[in-house]
Amino acid sequence: MNEKKQSKYLTFGISTLALVVFPLLWFLSQAILFRELTEQLARNIVVLIAIPFGSTFIFLLFLGMNKLIHLAPKDTRDSLEARMFVGPSLFMIGLFLFYPSLRTIFLSFKDRYSQEFVGFDNYLWAFTDAEMITTIRNQIIWLISVVILTLLIGLVVGWLTDRLNKGEAFFKSIVFMPMAISAVGASAIFKFIYEYRPPPLTQIGIINGIRVSRGDQCWNNREISGEFKGYDDPSCINPVGWLQQRDLSALPISDTLEAGGWFSNALINLPVNTLLLMVIMVWMYTGFAAVVFSAGIKAIPAEIMEAGQIDGASELRIFISIVIPYIKSTIVVVGTYMVVTVLKAFDIIYVSTRGDLETNLLAVKMLDEFSKYRNFGRSSTVAVLIFVCVLPVIIGTALRERENSDL
Amino acid sequence: MKKPLLLAFLLLTLILGACGGGSLEGEEVSITGALIGEDQEGFRANFEAFTAETGIVVTYQGSDNFEQEIQIQMESGDTPDFALWPQPGAVVDAANRGMLTPLEDLDIDLDEYKSNFSSYLVGLGTVDGVIYGGANAANLKSIVWYQPAEFEARGYAVPNTWDEMIALADQIVSEGMNPFCFGMFSNGASGWLATDWMEDIMLRTGEGVTSYDKWVTNELKFSSDTVTNAATLLSQIMHTENYVVGGTDAIVSTSFGNAQDPMFSKDANGNPGCFMHRQASFIPAFWPEAAQAGVGVETTVFPFPVIDESLPKAALGGGDMWGAFNDRDATKAVAKYMLSAEFHEASAARPNNARLSAHTGFNNDLYSKDINRILGTIISDALSANSFRFDASDLMPPEVGAGSFWKEMMNLAVEGPGYIDTAMDNIDKSWP
Amino acid sequence: MIRNNQKWYDKPVTKLILVSIALTWIFPLFGFVLSSFRPGESIKRTSWWDAIYTGRVWSELSFQNYQEVFRAENLDRSFYNSFAVTIPSTIIPITIAAFAAYAFAFMEFKGKNILFLFVVGSMIIPLQMSLIPLVQLFKDGIEISGIQIIPALDINGTYVATWFAHTGFGLPLATFLLRDFMMGLPKSVIESAKIDGASNFTTFFRLVLPLSVAGIAAFGTFQFLWVYNDFLVANVFLGIYKPENLVVTSHMSQIAAGNFGEAWHLRTSAGVISILVPLGVFFGLQRFFIRGLLGGAVKG
Repeated sequence: MNEKKQSKYLTFGISTLALVVFPLLWFLSQAILFRELTEQLARNIVVLIAIPFGSTFIFLLFLGMNKLIHLAPKDTRDSLEARMFVGPSLFMIGLFLFYPSLRTIFLSFKDRYSQEFVGFDNYLWAFTDAEMITTIRNQIIWLISVVILTLLIGLVVGWLTDRLNKGEAFFKSIVFMPMAISAVGASAIFKFIYEYRPPPLTQIGIINGIRVSRGDQCWNNREISGEFKGYDDPSCINPVGWLQQRDLSALPISDTLEAGGWFSNALINLPVNTLLLMVIMVWMYTGFAAVVFSAGIKAIPAEIMEAGQIDGASELRIFISIVIPYIKSTIVVVGTYMVVTVLKAFDIIYVSTRGDLETNLLAVKMLDEFSKYRNFGRSSTVAVLIFVCVLPVIIGTALRERENSDL
Repeated sequence: MKKPLLLAFLLLTLILGACGGGSLEGEEVSITGALIGEDQEGFRANFEAFTAETGIVVTYQGSDNFEQEIQIQMESGDTPDFALWPQPGAVVDAANRGMLTPLEDLDIDLDEYKSNFSSYLVGLGTVDGVIYGGANAANLKSIVWYQPAEFEARGYAVPNTWDEMIALADQIVSEGMNPFCFGMFSNGASGWLATDWMEDIMLRTGEGVTSYDKWVTNELKFSSDTVTNAATLLSQIMHTENYVVGGTDAIVSTSFGNAQDPMFSKDANGNPGCFMHRQASFIPAFWPEAAQAGVGVETTVFPFPVIDESLPKAALGGGDMWGAFNDRDATKAVAKYMLSAEFHEASAARPNNARLSAHTGFNNDLYSKDINRILGTIISDALSANSFRFDASDLMPPEVGAGSFWKEMMNLAVEGPGYIDTAMDNIDKSWP
Repeated sequence: MIRNNQKWYDKPVTKLILVSIALTWIFPLFGFVLSSFRPGESIKRTSWWDAIYTGRVWSELSFQNYQEVFRAENLDRSFYNSFAVTIPSTIIPITIAAFAAYAFAFMEFKGKNILFLFVVGSMIIPLQMSLIPLVQLFKDGIEISGIQIIPALDINGTYVATWFAHTGFGLPLATFLLRDFMMGLPKSVIESAKIDGASNFTTFFRLVLPLSVAGIAAFGTFQFLWVYNDFLVANVFLGIYKPENLVVTSHMSQIAAGNFGEAWHLRTSAGVISILVPLGVFFGLQRFFIRGLLGGAVKG
């Protein structure tokens, strides 16, 4: 009896040591050690050692744990090992992701400086405040449009590139390349396209450049036979601040729309600036969808495709009736990924308009509440909103995982 | 592993530091703020003499996301030694959160401070009687930029009253040109220019400084007659056809930094894009380089026109205020220096400088540009006479001053004069 | 698939559509990159397409902007910072995830399914949910009923904070992808190793890891690009008040988003520089990158 109990205690002690105490110590020591180094050493040296330091310290964790586990009696070693393998990841996810999220939910029920409880006040604000409503509206528009557009164009590119004998990789690379560019870079690129300068200055953004050059007497300050010809002639159109257009009312097309029925009238409310910003995300992520779909399409067994061909079905028919049902799960996965990406969209808005003129999205709003309006309660509430939107996606993925692992 | 070595190293540093005899030689003090570009260079230049004398190295890093970044830094504990805010409201907020060191603890002579910078200014950075904010630079906003040569060539007279300015505007329009430049897009802050217009008008209508102060605390509501009247006058400028070059579209779409560019470019007939641009004294730093050379000469200012002649002359302005996050000896030395009359001497001498010292004892002749001398004198005089008022939107709570006030101004520009009452109502409703 | 049925392949319509899409995708980059070689004044005076039309553009091109951006802006320092943040932030999560993936794929232990669900679920927690409290954690530690479980570390502003933040954010996806990949490895080989008495550690190091190189490289490339292009985490955890602490994205955003003047010559050149590294990684390691995405997406 005693021996068993002894070995049980021993195991327990060692497992606590190896799986709890040691990782904690490791984490603390890495943090504190590096902090001290940063403060003491010259900047350049810190940068140089940072890379090897950060990359190798992690191995100490596992080596250390392994050594400690070997102290335990052999029969328990297996289960201890399993926990050792899995432990650090659970520890980090729990500490760096899970715990802070719980805290955010907690803070969403407190006031601006996190001192007193205010119940559901913040949530009430989130659904009644004018700007929040606009932000939520934008988020919905983004979700629907970006996901659909990305899936659609991605499918087209994935399918069509597969129909080529040569050049398939080339086309896919071009469409896929924007994914390597940071959102900040992409926003700068599109800002250049949408750029507005007040008249009579030269338009450097191509959209306004074209707009301003319409008409025989209008040029975008082009030098023709020595003189600068501009667009100040009364027949010329002024440039438009594209990122500032909240609807179509300032554009000439609104006149034609106003004359139409209720649908045309409703169309005037199209939030142009939000749509233009969405283009940036579509540009960035369509390639991702295309590549994934392309792989999925290649996985379709050749016999099925042949069968369709032999039956004389048109390409479009095959696409709709065979391809799409076959890669349905892939479409869902890509769609899921896009939904989550849209909900987290931050950089694009932050760099181009910072949310002004009704372009705001939840992720930016969350930071705004934190830093501009200094209201921690509301900021946490917006974060929770983002999470809640993602919840159905979690459940869907988890259910699918269950199905797959059961197979 | 490396720890024992580190401890030894640490001990050595401490001993050496102590043996240094308490000199602050080599100490680093970091400041962060919203000043960028030329303003940033000028600010850094101000510390050169200081570093040469005391050996303290002062680093300044500006960012146009500063106000949001500093919030995160305060949250993360990774703060610089000083933060130079463009509005005192943020200083008060940081103080309320317990982040800042009172000036008293920095060994600053408070009475001297108050008399040098005016109790009004000092009061803006005070919480419950404790002073946390260090006044630094001021800028004048009650000015309108124009080009005298263009006025002379066309026989225009500089307007002294609002009615004269409107008459001039009408004349310019009748001659086929646009009188005003107006652009207020600014990432995350769009609309602040229109709030400046309203503030200038408020100081010159109603009860002048008295109604202004009541407005800042919401004792005088936005929907009251005085404030609504100010909005109506603003709308007269924004919405009267052809007054603004590019129309209301330009107002909401042009970045404030580019708004004055039309004044500097002439179209095919030799006419400038606009003739008048009401903007603060820091704007030359944003002009094209060629225009910057002519500031004060080719492009200079006339004071914002009087509206109610029975009211005393007031000056609207803004300014920076710093807060200190610790009370190290080096921090104290830097704080004392920044509050002295010698600070800003280096930047004043720079050719493209647009920053003005808020110290009433600053020698205004040291500004290399005439225009700065004029503006600097106006500011010191106004401060001493207590007719200097800080930008109201900077003093109001952030949900209003950095939120609904700005947003409603943008909406007003787009919607037109019929929207005034709704705008005023919305702002009132958003007051926390 | 049989590729000699000409009826299906290389149709002109197909090529037309693809070429138009490709042109549309390249177009935004074109004007941007071209402008990075033009002097600032020219950019503002004549639009880039007018410059091409009138033919003046060819005489204007130079590397002037790049020199200015490097010299005046210290962009090279930001590159070092970006790498100092990115490389450990890629290696650490991969290491931890590899161990965990092995355990989930080949070992049996109590609560395995629930724990894996925990990992998968965490994959979708947006980082906004944990951002601010994580910052506070790094500064103040955790205190529960007066007991300081984690002391005040005060590591914000150092690289370590970004490593841990990125690790936390990247672990769920990494574990998920690597486990998926490992499940696809031939089980028989591993079984026989176990029968021969090899410990889990040995099996992991000598057998499974080498076999998983493709999956690891795939996720590694993905994570590298993600961290390198990240803007928010670097801003929050590394801070930007010291210019030495800027990473390339933060630096770039300061140049791009600034209202200051209209320094398009700097914005475009800084922009091009900032996308060179990720583009290089992308083109060089494209195979792995795509594999990584497919691993997670298609197997789902």
